[in-house]
Amino acid sequence: MNTGCHRVLIATFLCICSAVLYAAEPEPLGHLIEPGYTPEDAADEQGLWLEIKEYERSLNQSALLVRQAELRNYIEGIVCRVAADYCNDFRVYLVRNPGFNASMTATGMMQIWTGLIVRASSTDEIAAVFGHEIAHYTRLHSLQGFRRLKSQMASASVLDLGLTILTGVPVPLGQASALLNYLAFNRQQETEADLLGVQLVAAAAYDPHASYRVWNQLQQEENAAAVKREKAGVFSQTHPNSEARAEYLLQYVSQEFGPADVEQVADQALLNILNNHYLFLMEDQLDTNRFGRTREILVRHTKLGVKPGLVNYFFGETYRQRGEPGDRELAIAAYTKSTESDGSPPQTFKNLGYLHLKAGDVPLAQKYFREYLEAQPDASDRAMIEFYLEDQES
Amino acid sequence: MKFVKLIFVALGIILSGCTTTYSLVSPGAVAVDSLTVQIGSGWNRAPSTQTRSARSNAETWTKDGLLLDRLVIIPGVADGESLLVSRSESAALPVFRADMLPNEIEELVESSMLKFFGEGNSVVSSEGLRPYRFGDHVGFMFEVDAIVSDSPRYRGLVGAFIANNELYILYYLAAVPYYFDKHLVEAQRAIQSAVLNQ
Repeated sequence: MNTGCHRVLIATFLCICSAVLYAAEPEPLGHLIEPGYTPEDAADEQGLWLEIKEYERSLNQSALLVRQAELRNYIEGIVCRVAADYCNDFRVYLVRNPGFNASMTATGMMQIWTGLIVRASSTDEIAAVFGHEIAHYTRLHSLQGFRRLKSQMASASVLDLGLTILTGVPVPLGQASALLNYLAFNRQQETEADLLGVQLVAAAAYDPHASYRVWNQLQQEENAAAVKREKAGVFSQTHPNSEARAEYLLQYVSQEFGPADVEQVADQALLNILNNHYLFLMEDQLDTNRFGRTREILVRHTKLGVKPGLVNYFFGETYRQRGEPGDRELAIAAYTKSTESDGSPPQTFKNLGYLHLKAGDVPLAQKYFREYLEAQPDASDRAMIEFYLEDQES
Repeated sequence: MKFVKLIFVALGIILSGCTTTYSLVSPGAVAVDSLTVQIGSGWNRAPSTQTRSARSNAETWTKDGLLLDRLVIIPGVADGESLLVSRSESAALPVFRADMLPNEIEELVESSMLKFFGEGNSVVSSEGLRPYRFGDHVGFMFEVDAIVSDSPRYRGLVGAFIANNELYILYYLAAVPYYFDKHLVEAQRAIQSAVLNQ
């Protein structure tokens, strides 16, 4: 089957599924397992748990795991509050990855990417994503998906064999259809997890309205992206798209919990986390070389109240990295603003020095290079800076 | 008939640039496009089929296999070009600009390596930027560190200079512990010997 035909088929199929989903009145959802659940009877489920535990052992040793206690405590605290009685069922792994994602396995192993923290405007939004993941766990979605796929692939293989005998051409139509079904089934699970997640978040006294704000913001970031992704991101491959999701969550939350508060209160817990770990979180984002997305995140952080010295330093970094006509001036302005504000890192002086060197203003470049070395006497690039200082003086 | 000839010529060009086996790089002076490096012992030149993200005029050498160590030589990157090639339009590869200063080349390498290992699957950092003279050209060197998901951790040594508005870059990247140290002296000697052909 060619890709275009395949896409049309998928799109048609999903439209039908979505229509069914939105037309139906959401039923109240409950948990399917008790806290402390472990598989006892089913061999396939036990096998699945063993496989995941093996993977978890290797993940535990990954150098990409975030080990800082403050960050871990913040994240684990939110998980536990949303999970309530299920708190002890989860092992939380915070992974250095600038993308937006969180995932949950059947065993309660939860992976959270640092890009989620960078993109959140409030702790409530992070809680909303966790509520969704916890709902996947208590509704046994991974196990259901695993079993459904296994049985469909088996019967699909028989169908494919029949087709091959009849036509003489090996066409994996049955398996393709099974995968398509699995995808649709996942999306239905996603909607279930969204709705139960909102209930968990509200029960934990987080703002349920945060559940749709997350998706609105992701959509804004996608719109601001200079380079669009060819393939949908990890999240959107198996999840309803951000716009559709924000829409049905808005409807559901407004109906269940009333309208949102007009006044948004500054989230000090998230602000502390961002302020204390901003450099590594945003450097990972900056390295992706995605100007539009990074800029959108920085605009959000400005509104949120992250230390202006930090945010403006990264505005300077994004303009300097893009390097289009006029960007040097924008970068200098942002760095200068950073040096006049709270939280400006020493690198700001260095980069101001380099930019003025480029612009031919040697005395000003020297001034900033000296300020950089004063602020960071043990800088690992001291030899390079001293080279420029000596070079300019000779 | 003309059309058939054209197909054969095109096939010849494609096949000549598409090597599939490793070849020995013998000790002594070795020319890689417009660069020459001196090596004290032999390396294995990786075939283009093993280095799909490499530029056409770049070479990748290894001692113990590409997963464990590699010495990459990238000559003549022009303004607006990237250090790697990618078929994906969404890769957002960073590009070299002729007016870049050493700190920006350092970031260019960091970001390029991140794309090489996989965005989201790796964290690349650098340190120790310092000046170094490559023949008649003032350049610089620095170290890199790459943490990669489901892979060994890598350390690297990078040397680079700009000549005639083009970037010349050489880097050694190897797994830690053990392999980085095993070939560091040899790789450093090769990187530091790099000069532009007269």
